[in-house]
Amino acid sequence: MKNVVIGFLGSSLDAGGGPGRWEKWRPTVSLCQHEDLLIDRLELLYARPHQRLAEQLVEDIATVSPETTVNLHLVDPRDPWDFQEVYGALHDYARGYKFDVERERYLMHITTGTHVAQICMFLLTETRYFPASLLQSAPPRRQRAGSIGSYAVIDLDVSKYDQLAARFAREQADSTAFLKSGIATRNAAFNRTIDAIERVAIRSRSPLLLVGPTGAGKSQLASRIYDLKKLRHQVAGEFVEVNCATLRGDAAMSTLFGHVKGAFTGAQTERAGLLKKAHGGMVFLDEIGELGPDEQAMLLRAIEEKRFFPMGSDKETQSDFQLIAGTNRDLRADARAGRFREDLLARINHWTFRLPALRDRLEDIEPNVDYELEKHTRESSTTVRFNAEARRAFLKFATSGVAEWTGNFRELSAAITRMATLADGGRITEDLVAEEISRLSEQWATTHPDELNEVLSDDALAGIDLFDRVQLREVVKVCRRARSMAEAGRTLFGVSRGHRAKVNDSDRLRKYLARFQLDWETVNANRDRIGNQFVTRS
Amino acid sequence: MIEIDGSEGEGGGQILRSALALSLCTAQPFRIFNIRARRPKPGLMRQHLTAVQAAATIGHATVVGAEVGSCELTFRPGTVTAGDYDFAIGTAGSCTLVLQTILPPLLTAKGRSRVRITGGTHNKAAPPVDFLQRAFLPLIERMGPRVTLELVRHGFYPRGGGEIVVTVSPTSRLERLSIPERGALVSREADAYVAGVPLHVASRELQVVGRMLSWPEDVLHVRGLPGDMGPGNALTISVGHEQVIEVFTAFGEKGVSAEAVATSAAAQTQAYLAGGAAVGPHLADQLLLPMALSGGGTFSTTSVTDHFRSQVVVTQRFLSIEPTIDGRGSIIIVRL
Repeated sequence: MKNVVIGFLGSSLDAGGGPGRWEKWRPTVSLCQHEDLLIDRLELLYARPHQRLAEQLVEDIATVSPETTVNLHLVDPRDPWDFQEVYGALHDYARGYKFDVERERYLMHITTGTHVAQICMFLLTETRYFPASLLQSAPPRRQRAGSIGSYAVIDLDVSKYDQLAARFAREQADSTAFLKSGIATRNAAFNRTIDAIERVAIRSRSPLLLVGPTGAGKSQLASRIYDLKKLRHQVAGEFVEVNCATLRGDAAMSTLFGHVKGAFTGAQTERAGLLKKAHGGMVFLDEIGELGPDEQAMLLRAIEEKRFFPMGSDKETQSDFQLIAGTNRDLRADARAGRFREDLLARINHWTFRLPALRDRLEDIEPNVDYELEKHTRESSTTVRFNAEARRAFLKFATSGVAEWTGNFRELSAAITRMATLADGGRITEDLVAEEISRLSEQWATTHPDELNEVLSDDALAGIDLFDRVQLREVVKVCRRARSMAEAGRTLFGVSRGHRAKVNDSDRLRKYLARFQLDWETVNANRDRIGNQFVTRS
Repeated sequence: MIEIDGSEGEGGGQILRSALALSLCTAQPFRIFNIRARRPKPGLMRQHLTAVQAAATIGHATVVGAEVGSCELTFRPGTVTAGDYDFAIGTAGSCTLVLQTILPPLLTAKGRSRVRITGGTHNKAAPPVDFLQRAFLPLIERMGPRVTLELVRHGFYPRGGGEIVVTVSPTSRLERLSIPERGALVSREADAYVAGVPLHVASRELQVVGRMLSWPEDVLHVRGLPGDMGPGNALTISVGHEQVIEVFTAFGEKGVSAEAVATSAAAQTQAYLAGGAAVGPHLADQLLLPMALSGGGTFSTTSVTDHFRSQVVVTQRFLSIEPTIDGRGSIIIVRL
C-alpha cells in the first residue's frame, strides 16, 4: 500500500529561507521526515503567489525524503477565504483525481491552508469525495533542529474507535432509558422496540406509527420522543397532542387545520389550528383511524407538501411538523374496507412500532410500580411505600393471569395512585391492596369490549336474536356518543325524518330501546361510569 | 533458517544491519522477529528499510516484510554482485550505516564496485564519514581490499543531503588482522566543521580542544562549509599511532554551547590517550564483523560494551566464532 498525502502548501507555516528553515517546524516538510511514515507521493496544492515557495519545498523534500515524489498542483481560488470558491476548486480537484484505493492509502493533510480550506477538505473527506483519512500534524513542544513534531491519522469512520463507539452506546443507552422514562423495563420485546424507536427517532423525521391498545403508553412515548429530540436540538417547535376520536364534524377540520373568520357558523374569529401550532415541532395524532375522510385527505397533503388549506381559506398555510400517529385498530383492514385512505396509511406506516399490552409484559409490572410510586412521591412531596407483605400481595395479583389489565399501564398507574392517595402515613398496607384488588376485579368483570354487555345482562342478551343484536349495538354506540336523546335520534333517523310530517326522533328511539327493556338512562349510566373511571385514571 | 529475536541485546537497528551483512557474506537466509520490539515506535523505520533494500539490491535477495512498521522480516540472499550502485536515504539517515551493511559483502565480491550514497554524513548515533575514512577503512585495507571513500558533500541532521562515493576493489579472501598495540603517536588533528553556523563556533570549539589536549594551533583547523549545507556543526579529533588511527566526534546542536560540544570530544580523546589500548569502543564494534569474516584476529581495546556483546551474539548465528576477552587493567585483549 502506497501512502499518498494530499495537502495545501502552508504559505506561512511552510515558509522560511536560509539554513534557519531547518530549525523550524514546517508542517509539509516535517511530515516527510518521520521515520515511521513513508510518504510515496505528495500532492501539494498551492496558489499562484506561492510558486517560489512551492519549488523550494519540492527541493527540500527531495533532500529529506528521496522516496517521496512531489507533484505540484496549482489550485487558485480568487479568494482563499471564500467557502464556495475553495470548496468548488477542491471538489473539482477530487473529481478529476484518479484514486486507486486498492493500491494507495490517501491522507488529507489538513494542518496547512486557510481554515476555509481545512473545512472544505474535511467536508469532502467526510463525504468520501476524497477516499481518505485525515492527517493532522503538530509542532514540537520546542522548536529546534530535527524536532519534526508529531502527526496523527484520523479515520472519520467513528465506529472504528472503541472509546467513541462505547460513548455512543452509552448515549444510546441514556436515550433509550429516557424513552422509557427511566423505568428499567425487563420485557425483551418491548426493550427491542424502544431501541429501534431510539435509533429511528434520532435519525429520521419521517412519520412514526405507534400501534397498541389503549393505555399501553403510546401518548407517553410520543411525548418522550419529542423530549428526546428536543434535548438533541432536533426540534424547535411545540409538541401538540390530539385524540382524533374526540374530533367530530366542522370542529375536527378546524381543530386540526384552523379556519378563517366566518368559515362556518360559530367561526367568529380566526383560528390557527393544531398543525400550524406544531410548525417545526411534532404532532401526536392518537386514534388516527377515527379521522374522517376529509381530514384524512387534508392530513395527507399536510404531511407530503407541508401545506394545507385552513377551513374557508383560499390561501394555503405552511407547517413543517413531524407526525407520530397512534392507533389501536387494524388500519390495513380499515384501508381494505375503505374506511382509511391507502395512501395516507402508506405514508404513516413507514416506521411502525407495536407496543405490547401490559398483559404481555408482566415482568415490567414491578419496575412500573416503583416508577409510579416515585412519581407520586415527586408530585405530592410525600413518600409512599408498600409494606413488604402488601407489595408481595399486589405484585402476585398483578402478574397473575387473573389480572386482565384491560386499561393497560394507564390502569396500573391509576391503581397505584389510588392506593398511594389512600395510604395513611405513607404506608400501603395489605388491607389497601386487598381493597384495590377487589376494585380492579370488579371493573374487569363489568367492562367488556362489546357495548351490549355494558347495557344488558348476559341473560337478557341471550334472549335477543343476532339479527337484532347487530342493529342494537350500533344504536347504543350512537346514543353513547350523543349529548342528548334528540341528537341521537337525529343521527339515527337522518334520512327518514325528512319524509315525515311530524318529526319525533326521540320518541321513535325511546320505543325502539323499550323493545329490549332499555331506556336512555340505562345506556347513559353505563357511559358515565366508564367516563368516571377514565377521570380517576388520568 | 537462522532465526533472530530482534529484541535481544541492545535490540536496535544494529542487529538487523549486522544480520543483513552476514547473510550476504555467508549466503544464509534468516528471519528476524520482534524488530525493535522495545522501542517507542517498534518495527522497521525508514532508515532500516533503506538498509534492507540496499542489501537486497546488491545481493539479489528476496525479502518478505520490508515495510515501515513491520516487526518481522525474512531475507533470502541471492548472489552478491559487484557494480555501480546508487542509494538515497531519507530523514537524514546515515550514509555510513547503509555502507556498513553492504560494504562487507562487496569486499570479497567478484569485481570492483562504486557505490554512491546520499543522506546524512555527520549524524549523531552513527559513525561519521571522517571516522570511516581515517580509522576504519585503513584497517580494512590492511585485510586485503582497496577501499576509497570520497565525501562529496556534507549532510548534517536533520536536513541530510550529503553524498559519499565509495569504491571497492575486492580481494578473494580477507586476511587476518592483528592490532595488539597502537604504537607510538605519529599524528594529531582536530577539525571543526560549520555550515550555516557562525565561524566563531568552530574557533571556540578548537580553543577548548587546544587547551584540554595541550595541542598547538597548527593542528586545529576551522573547516567552513557552504551555508546552504547547513545548519550543521561537527568536531572531529583524530589521533594517529603507528598501528591505528582513532577518531572522536561530537556534534553541535541548538542550545548546546560550543564549549560543551568540544569538551565531550576532547574528553573521549583524553581517555583514549591516557590508556594504552589500540582501539576505542566504536572502532571495536566495527572491527568485529570483518575480523570474523576473515576467520580470526586480535586487537586491544579500552572497554567491551553491550553493543559489542550484541554484535558477537548476532555474528555467532552466522559464523562459528568464539571470541575470548582478557582483561588486563585498562587494556582488554579481544581474540577471535
